[in-house]
Amino acid sequence: MHVIINCNTFNEYFTVFSLDLFSFCLLDKIFLTVCFSVGYSAVALNHVIDFKEKKQEIIKPVSPSELFPSLPIVQGTSKKIKVLTRLTLVVSDPSHCNLLRSTSANIRLYDIIAVFPKTEKLFHIACTTLDVDLVCINVTEKLPFYFRRPPVNMAIDRGIYFELLYTPAIKDSTMRRYTISNAISLMQICKGKNIVISSAAERPLELRGPYDVANLGLLFGLPEGEAKAAVSTNCRATMLHGETRKSACGVVYTVKKPRKVEEEETAVPACKKAKTQA
Amino acid sequence: VRFKNRYVLCEVVSEDPRCRQCIEDRALGLAVRDAIARVHGDYGLACCSISFTVKYLNAYTGTVLLRCRKDSYRLLCSALPFVRYLESRAQRYPCFLNTLHVGGTIRTCQKFLIQYNRTQLLRLLQNCTNEEERQCIQKSLLSCSLTEEQSQSGDEEEDDGTETD
Repeated sequence: MHVIINCNTFNEYFTVFSLDLFSFCLLDKIFLTVCFSVGYSAVALNHVIDFKEKKQEIIKPVSPSELFPSLPIVQGTSKKIKVLTRLTLVVSDPSHCNLLRSTSANIRLYDIIAVFPKTEKLFHIACTTLDVDLVCINVTEKLPFYFRRPPVNMAIDRGIYFELLYTPAIKDSTMRRYTISNAISLMQICKGKNIVISSAAERPLELRGPYDVANLGLLFGLPEGEAKAAVSTNCRATMLHGETRKSACGVVYTVKKPRKVEEEETAVPACKKAKTQA
Repeated sequence: VRFKNRYVLCEVVSEDPRCRQCIEDRALGLAVRDAIARVHGDYGLACCSISFTVKYLNAYTGTVLLRCRKDSYRLLCSALPFVRYLESRAQRYPCFLNTLHVGGTIRTCQKFLIQYNRTQLLRLLQNCTNEEERQCIQKSLLSCSLTEEQSQSGDEEEDDGTETD
């Protein structure tokens, strides 16, 4: 269970980061204020589901307005911080993916869906057919499989992003080696496209600013432009990708309009109105 | 032909308010060198320490200006996220460094810092509760500029210090 943080644009200091549900009780305003003083502007609350444990059910996401009654304003602009919800599925078996295909109402409520494949077959399935926004790349241990070009290219075409974590690298030196080797092997296949760098911070002090995270991207082998994009535009694209799942093919959105009941009863239909006026 | 340097402007962020008061240049220099050694090894440490110093330090706002050679500033910048704590007088304070700006001269970093402080003061103004503090901040906002930097930057940082406490 961890906090994952993605950063975003330099121009608007736009960031997405995820907080685990358990940490909400420990979550202070301090965490938020640190993040936003450093320059992030959007937050995603993460819920990790691990299928290896006893069967877990997908809970409805906690509404952000309940947790943070007053949202601070982004530095430099006058917009409020965005708070989104995110779900991470740790899959080690193809049957776990059925959850995504089922039209369970609770999944639809999350803004961003991420999957963490543990085997090569699952990685292939996640890149080619699953309806997710992010594919997490393991950084805490040596990858059991090598990346191949076909599924990675298909994922890039579909608009799926690969996520790398950086807080394990800050904490521990063995993790650092695994992070860098896994990241570089990914880089060699995908040439730096479609990468999102995020943090799995459990404490506010494990966060890093957007400029620093882009510099970390350089360590991972990303070219400089891509490193900055990994921190900014790619995250925004992930958010939009998540939004399109709520709409019809990304073109039509439905918004609930409050009905005014009295007006409905007395209103004259439009066609009749035109004739009487004419 | 002269040696070209890069000046990296950072801010020390920590939860503990005592950490800011104990920032000193030697402790910070040691922490940064240690991080470079951990990440880039002996080669990185040797490259970066050719002309490495802490040029400017402001304990009230936690602003730090580091200098290094232009050839090795990438090694330095990529190692800064790995600084986890500052150690001084046998006390460890967990913190992290947030890079604000990388410039070629001290003057550009100073210009950036003045702009940055102005935005920070504006943000503090929003959170102001006391009328007196509000007046203080407004006065310092109107008076920050590059030309009178010696006296004024002292003023605006002082106000910043009183507000954050």
